[in-house]
Amino acid sequence: MPDVTLIIDGRTVTVPAGTNIVDAARTTEVAIPVFCYHPKLKPVGMCRMCLVEVWTPLIDQATRQPVLNPDGTPKLGLMMGKLQPGCVTPVAAGMVVKTVTDKVQFAQRGQLEFLLSSHPLDCPVCDKGGECPLQNLTMQFGPSTSRYDYQDKVHFEKPIPLGDTIYLDRERCILCSRCVRFQDDIAGDPVLGFDSRGRSWEIISKSDPPFDSKFSGNTTDICPVGALTSSDFRFKARVWEVRPVPVVCTHCPVGCNITLDMRHDRLMRVMPRENDFVNEIWNCDKGRFGMRHVDDATRLTTPLVRRGEQLVPASWDEALRVAAQGLMRVRSSAGATALAGMIGADASNEDFALFRHVMHGVLGTPHLDHRPGGPADVALETASARFGVSSGTNLLGLGTGTLVLLVGADPEEEAPLYVLRLRGIVARGGQLVTVNAHPTKLDGSAARVVRVAPGREAALIQAVVCGILDGGAPMSSRARGIDRLRTSLKGASAVQLAAAAGVEFEVVRALTDQLISAPNMIIMIGRTGLAQGSAVSDAVGALAAVTGAFGRPGSGVIALNPGGNARGAQDLGIVPGEGGLAAAQYWDAIARGELKAMLVAGLDPATLGAASASALDALDFLVVQDAFLSDTARRADVVLPCAMLPERDGTFTNAERRVQRSRQARQAPDGQRAHWQILQGIAAALGSDPGYSVSSDVTDAIAAQVPAYAGARYTSLGVTAGDWGRQANESVYYDGTSYTNTEGTGVQLPTGVERDGLPPVAAPLTPLTGGVPTGTLAVLVPRAYDGRDWARGSKLAPRMVPPHVIVGPADAGTLGIGVGEPVTLTSARGSVTLPAQIDRGLAAGTVLIVDVAGFAAADLCGGVITSVDVARGEA
Amino acid sequence: MAPSQAIFSRSRAGQESEQQFMPPLTEHIVLRDLDIPDIGDPEVYHRHGGYAALRTVLTEKTPAEVVALVRDAGLRGRGGAGFPTGVKWGFLPKDSYPRYLLCNCDESEPGTFNNHQIIDRNPHQLIEGVAIAAYAIECHTAYIYVRGEFAAGARTLERAVADAYRRGYLGQNIMGSGYDLDIVVHRGAGAYICGEETALMESLEGKIGQPRLKPPFPAIAGLYGKPTIINNVETLTNVPMIIRHGAAWYRQYGTAKSPGTKVFSICGHVRRPGNYEVPFGTPLRELVEADYYGGGMRGGRAVKIIVPGGASSAWLTADKLDTPMDYESLAAAGTMLGSGGVIILDETVSAVELAYKMDEFFKHESCGKCTPCREGTTFLVRVLHRMNHGGGRASDIPLLHDVYNQMAGNCFCLLGESAVVPIRSALRLFPGEFEQAIERAAASAATLRANAIPLVTH
Ligand SMILES: Cc1cc2nc3c(=O)[nH]c(=O)nc-3n(C[C@H](O)[C@H](O)[C@H](O)COP(=O)(O)O)c2cc1C
Ligand code: SF4
Ligand code: SF4
Ligand code: SF4
Ligand code: FES
Repeated sequence: MPDVTLIIDGRTVTVPAGTNIVDAARTTEVAIPVFCYHPKLKPVGMCRMCLVEVWTPLIDQATRQPVLNPDGTPKLGLMMGKLQPGCVTPVAAGMVVKTVTDKVQFAQRGQLEFLLSSHPLDCPVCDKGGECPLQNLTMQFGPSTSRYDYQDKVHFEKPIPLGDTIYLDRERCILCSRCVRFQDDIAGDPVLGFDSRGRSWEIISKSDPPFDSKFSGNTTDICPVGALTSSDFRFKARVWEVRPVPVVCTHCPVGCNITLDMRHDRLMRVMPRENDFVNEIWNCDKGRFGMRHVDDATRLTTPLVRRGEQLVPASWDEALRVAAQGLMRVRSSAGATALAGMIGADASNEDFALFRHVMHGVLGTPHLDHRPGGPADVALETASARFGVSSGTNLLGLGTGTLVLLVGADPEEEAPLYVLRLRGIVARGGQLVTVNAHPTKLDGSAARVVRVAPGREAALIQAVVCGILDGGAPMSSRARGIDRLRTSLKGASAVQLAAAAGVEFEVVRALTDQLISAPNMIIMIGRTGLAQGSAVSDAVGALAAVTGAFGRPGSGVIALNPGGNARGAQDLGIVPGEGGLAAAQYWDAIARGELKAMLVAGLDPATLGAASASALDALDFLVVQDAFLSDTARRADVVLPCAMLPERDGTFTNAERRVQRSRQARQAPDGQRAHWQILQGIAAALGSDPGYSVSSDVTDAIAAQVPAYAGARYTSLGVTAGDWGRQANESVYYDGTSYTNTEGTGVQLPTGVERDGLPPVAAPLTPLTGGVPTGTLAVLVPRAYDGRDWARGSKLAPRMVPPHVIVGPADAGTLGIGVGEPVTLTSARGSVTLPAQIDRGLAAGTVLIVDVAGFAAADLCGGVITSVDVARGEA
Repeated sequence: MAPSQAIFSRSRAGQESEQQFMPPLTEHIVLRDLDIPDIGDPEVYHRHGGYAALRTVLTEKTPAEVVALVRDAGLRGRGGAGFPTGVKWGFLPKDSYPRYLLCNCDESEPGTFNNHQIIDRNPHQLIEGVAIAAYAIECHTAYIYVRGEFAAGARTLERAVADAYRRGYLGQNIMGSGYDLDIVVHRGAGAYICGEETALMESLEGKIGQPRLKPPFPAIAGLYGKPTIINNVETLTNVPMIIRHGAAWYRQYGTAKSPGTKVFSICGHVRRPGNYEVPFGTPLRELVEADYYGGGMRGGRAVKIIVPGGASSAWLTADKLDTPMDYESLAAAGTMLGSGGVIILDETVSAVELAYKMDEFFKHESCGKCTPCREGTTFLVRVLHRMNHGGGRASDIPLLHDVYNQMAGNCFCLLGESAVVPIRSALRLFPGEFEQAIERAAASAATLRANAIPLVTH
């Protein structure tokens, strides 16, 4: 859009046409006070705080020419003869805006007096006090006394719960609708609304359970008063007492920038920290309210070693020595390949480096993995490494011209913040296409929803690839291996593949047209896709290759490998080496007597099912590093208590290959140690101490040794890239209370292509042309609220999803099952009975089993998709 | 001579008054139920030329010709702003369909009740007007939004719409012309703000009734985001007669800038409150005093306050009784014709109490969306309440001035702006009454203090 030049308080400003006056003023550091306006939300002009004088050139009605003053300057008139709300008034050429005049100040004082006339002024006991826009703006623009009688104020019942996480104080609410608009427009969970009118107008929750949204906490940040407060932080601390420590959320592959607000060494609250490359100014409730486990009373406090049936406390020295000796003993007797190790995907890059050093470097085993070893384990994919989004990709910058293709992915459950990021792309004019075997929340934002048969995502993508290759459609020649790809698909046709996917060929054709005409394409592949061997990720890679959607900013593949740092684990070699087994193969190998000792860090495979549990029992020696005495830890010979997120420094790599650093907020309460420190201790006991003293030494060692990480030195990660127009002193009332990023926005690693300049190779595909599977298929689907360790002590505890099975209306009808009634599923592995939920969008023959705590998935499922018999269960 | 005396003498003795009033209309344009008994009956309406204008339009005229005719007649919107209807119809963006026509029958402005009479007594003329307007703007669905409290009127209208369908005046292929139109009668839930055009649309869409941000204006993005024309009941009821008799005929009534007739709802302390249809430009005095209109003041008392265009219009005093009732003259007198609800109040009324009651209404109806209206109306009402109940303070007069000035020009929609009007009128026209209220309060406080039984005695 063309630029417009205008004058604001005597300063000449040039901004794009369509900019509103409030935003235009901010560019020249003129702060127009606002309440309802928020730069991320559509302006509504409700609160009338932003009133300013807007003078525009007068036009002679007859000649259509500007009227001139005697001195030749254009004569100005006050727009509509009154003050105008700056947030909804677009700039125009020649405009003169005055934000400091008697008239404006009278209005500003007036609106503040009005707002305070129904405000309880309970700042001394209000959680918002100290970071409250109403307080700040009253001090700056308001009257110092009120002429409104206190007894005339409206009174409501003091805070009422709006949901499990949020309280509403209707007396404090200034009815700006930011919360409602956030839920409607940004989160896409339109669960809040208004009821009644006039002064009785009030915010209500319209959903059951109330405030049913994974993003509810953000409303407390943008609420310009203390009307919305979180049950997690209420009355915990005054905000000026807390010390915000910048960390990275490790609950999922998004890697939101957050702060841990500490008072001394206690965690008071979790807040988002702005990073426009990752989470903008938001985070999800799991990240915000799911950190209380760090203060859980059941945390392990000391190392434990086994004495017969019992685990007894031991000193670190002793425990590390016992661990090292135990591992060495098995290695000496049975060889290095009798050892295996696994470390959870939310550990840091430094943890991974030391893990690899101990298990591979020192002990020499190829059996390393970061996956949990269960039926939902993802295959190691290379699509996101070869065709991954290029450096410089920022989803916040994408809109018109961008198509996002989601394949076997449910971001709301796997990586919640991507819901916001992708909805943002749609709001800016982009398109979303979802390809899944079952409904997901983002279907509601999608331009096209393609429903495939379970496990047939790959067939659908192959059909598209085949169609593009057959059609001779414009095709990128930049990828290598296209000829081999073409040959590999020879025997198959797009029609056959569409049929195999269970999708009308017309839909495939329309989808193909849509994909090839999109200038930018992001392909996001989720757990369900990634867990089907390499079929889906190879197909997705091929699609990127034939459409040219790689190697430039704004295009490429993003893989939602589960865990906060699965990308880092893969980059740092926490994957099966030469001849190495995958975690899911460990249990049989133990049963066969091939594996005899294990080191398990931050994972709890004993809960996966009977096979892994008895395998762990059968080990000669087991070392476990964990924060809690997990089912796996109970079986261990040595248990080493690990430090948790607040207690450690580290770097983490997110799904878009952004390496970000997380700072230590406190000393571990009982001397627990970070995984890398524990591992270094074991290495030392084995005589190979690498001698790092702080985590950043390891970070820099990684940068020096791993080519992809060359740019990710500890200091470069601390550079704050991006000026998002926040002016720290005002940000509270423009943007809310999310913190400004001062501690580094991280470094996006280059893709392989960018490093070596060689075009990526498309893998040949194996056409999936079999008929659509008959019988019932169960899909093991992820749930964000899975009830695992993070949920301890969380206000979200009531929202944890219990084990259940989801059936479609047709199957429910056939089987005569109602909501909550038992359903028995029987597979080749076994049989379970679970209560039923009904999802009206689910096709007959597909059932979903939620992958949550309390359900031993491996006892029923052989993989992410399992053929089952479904029957009514015994009550 | 005081107007009340003139009326007294005339109505008493039936003598010629010294005032020469125009005789009332012998044939009405809108309130034809006064000329033709049972015009609400479709047979009767038909016998008196009903739906002939619709037939003419559908068979002989293009939509553009209808728009031009209405523009030439100079018909102005009766909903309050007096905007030229034909011009409004011409604002629709070309080639943008579907379009909607909304007929505003939310009639909630205090003192206004002519729409009610139309839907109750002459519904077919409204339906015919809606159909012609719908044809003119090329839309196929029209909604008549009826104030929730008009239960009987809405039922009458629903029956009339059903009759019109049965007789082929609505529905598919009307009178064989190939033109289709559906009319839906929708009842509101009782909110003044839903008469505001965009709040009405929100309400029709099933949302909470609150005004929308403009622009976009309804002609560009109205109901369901589609181009929409909204007109008042009375506006549309004029249309069939304009089609039948032509623009020149219509313009023989009223003034050059305010052509035609207007149904004024006269209420208050007049002898004969009611709806009276008169040519624009008829002097206010005539409406008050002529015995075929207001019939003079009850009990012969003097006129004190005239609210000429519904509660949102600025007050006049008796010295303005000769103001002609048309848009321009009332604007020149510092007020507006508004909804045509004329409230005439006599000297028994306290200006402070009237301001209090009227602002109580606006406070009750404030939708709550914007700060100055939501909080400002409450503020005004609290202060006016104490002033009316013997608790006024000396500081209250400057306070009231400040409060309405903090609202004036700053509200999201005109409801809040309207709430400024009564208090501003009262303070401008009757400042002494506020001072007296405060003095009385001070005096009674002093008496109370004097009569108080001391807590400590020596
Ligand atoms: C608070 C408020 C209430 C209104 N109420 C009504 C009403 O009850 N009936 C009406 O016709 N117009 C009402 N209006 C005016 C409408 O917004 C709109 O201008 C009118 O219906 C247009 O019709 P017209 O062009 O025929 O006058 C109201 C306006 C406001 C601001
Ligand atoms: S609760 Fe807060 S954000 Fe929501 S409307 Fe009230 S003041 Fe605004
Ligand atoms: S979206 Fe993911 S990274 Fe962000 S706060 Fe939620 S769980 Fe943490
Ligand atoms: S002025 Fe404001 S609060 Fe009042 S009715 Fe209009 S939008 Fe609602
Ligand atoms: S009206 Fe502009 S900030 Fe609220």
